[in-house]
Amino acid sequence: MTTPRTRRTLPVIACLIASACARVSVDQPERPGQDLAVLLPDSHDGTVGRATVSNAYGATELRDARAATRVSPGQAPTPVETLPEADVQRRFGDALAALPPAPQAFTLHFLFNSEDLTPASSALLADTLQAVKQRPVPDVLVVGHTDTTGPPSLNFQLALRRAQTVRELLLAAGLDAGAVDVASHGEAQPLVLTPDETNEPRNRRVVITVR
Amino acid sequence: MTSDRPSIIATVLSVALTAAAFATVPLGAQSAAAIGRVKIATGAAFIVRAGATLPATPGLRLLETDSLETGSDGRLGISLNDDTRISLGPDSEVALSRYRYAPADGAVALVLNFIRGAAVYASGQIAKLSPDAVRLETPSAIVGVRGTTVALHVVPE
Repeated sequence: MTTPRTRRTLPVIACLIASACARVSVDQPERPGQDLAVLLPDSHDGTVGRATVSNAYGATELRDARAATRVSPGQAPTPVETLPEADVQRRFGDALAALPPAPQAFTLHFLFNSEDLTPASSALLADTLQAVKQRPVPDVLVVGHTDTTGPPSLNFQLALRRAQTVRELLLAAGLDAGAVDVASHGEAQPLVLTPDETNEPRNRRVVITVR
Repeated sequence: MTSDRPSIIATVLSVALTAAAFATVPLGAQSAAAIGRVKIATGAAFIVRAGATLPATPGLRLLETDSLETGSDGRLGISLNDDTRISLGPDSEVALSRYRYAPADGAVALVLNFIRGAAVYASGQIAKLSPDAVRLETPSAIVGVRGTTVALHVVPE
C-alpha cells in the first residue's frame, strides 16, 4: 500500500538523486486514457508562448520550451516537467514534419498617387515569388493601402488598383490565378498614424501575405 | 422586378462559384464557406465530412466540423484562414469543431477536439485577437493558449 505521504515523498527522493532536479523527465510509455501536452517553440522564430492545461480537478501552466503535463481522466494535470527533445521527436516528429510553414508577409511601397512600385520594392518582388514557390499549395493575399492624401473613397480605389497591379505582376511571373486574392483597406489601416491629408510614403503600400 | 435582377444574378453567380470551389465535395456541403486548406498530405490521410471520408489531397478546401484523420503511414498538415496551422502524425484524429473568423464583426472562435494520436497546433490571428476564443480539447482536459505552438498526444482509453 502506498500512502499519500509516500507518494509525495518518492518524487522528492528521486529528485535528490537526479542531477537535474525534477525538471527533466524520462518519457513514460503511453498509457491508455492519458493525454500529454507539450509547449513548443514556434517553428519560424523560436519564441515560446504560454498554454494552460486545465480540467475540473486543477490546472497546469506551461511557460517554457518543452514544458509538459500529463492528464488522465478524473485527475488534475500533473505538475510541469520538461520533455527531452528526443521524446518530442519520437512522439511528434511526424506531426511536426507535416506542419505547414508559418505565413510570411512582404511589404511593397509605391510612388505618390501612383500604381508604380518604388525601385526598391520592384526588387523585393523576386523574394516574394521565391517564397511562394517554396510552399506546398501556396495561398497569396494582396492587400492595398494608401496614405491619407485625398478622399477615402478614391483611396479605396487607388489601394485596390495597387493590389491588382501587384497581383498582375505575380501572375505574369507564373503564379496560379486561383491562388492570388486581392483586397483594399484604402487609407483605413496606415502603418504610420498621420493626420488626414498627409503624404506619407510608408503608408503607400501593398502587403502580400504568403501562406 | 427589374430591380431584383442584379441580386438574382449575384446569387446565381455566387452559388455557381461556390459549387465550382467545392466541385469535389459531396452534395450538401456546397453552401458552406471554406475555412482553410489541406497543405501537406502523405500516406493515408483523410477528411471526414458529414459521414463521408474524402482523401486529403493538398489544396482540398476545409469546412467547419470536418475531421482530420490519418492511418498508420499518414501525415496531414492544414492551414486555416486566420493562419492557424494544424498537423497530425500517423494514426491520429482531430476535429475542427468550431471556427469563426470575421474579425471586422468581432466574431472569432476556434475549438479543436484532439481525439487520438499526435498533433501539433500553431496559433494564428484568432489567438492573437482573442486568446480566450481558442480552445483545444482533449478527452481529459482543455488547453488554453497565449500565442504559441502546442503538441498534444492523446491515447484513448
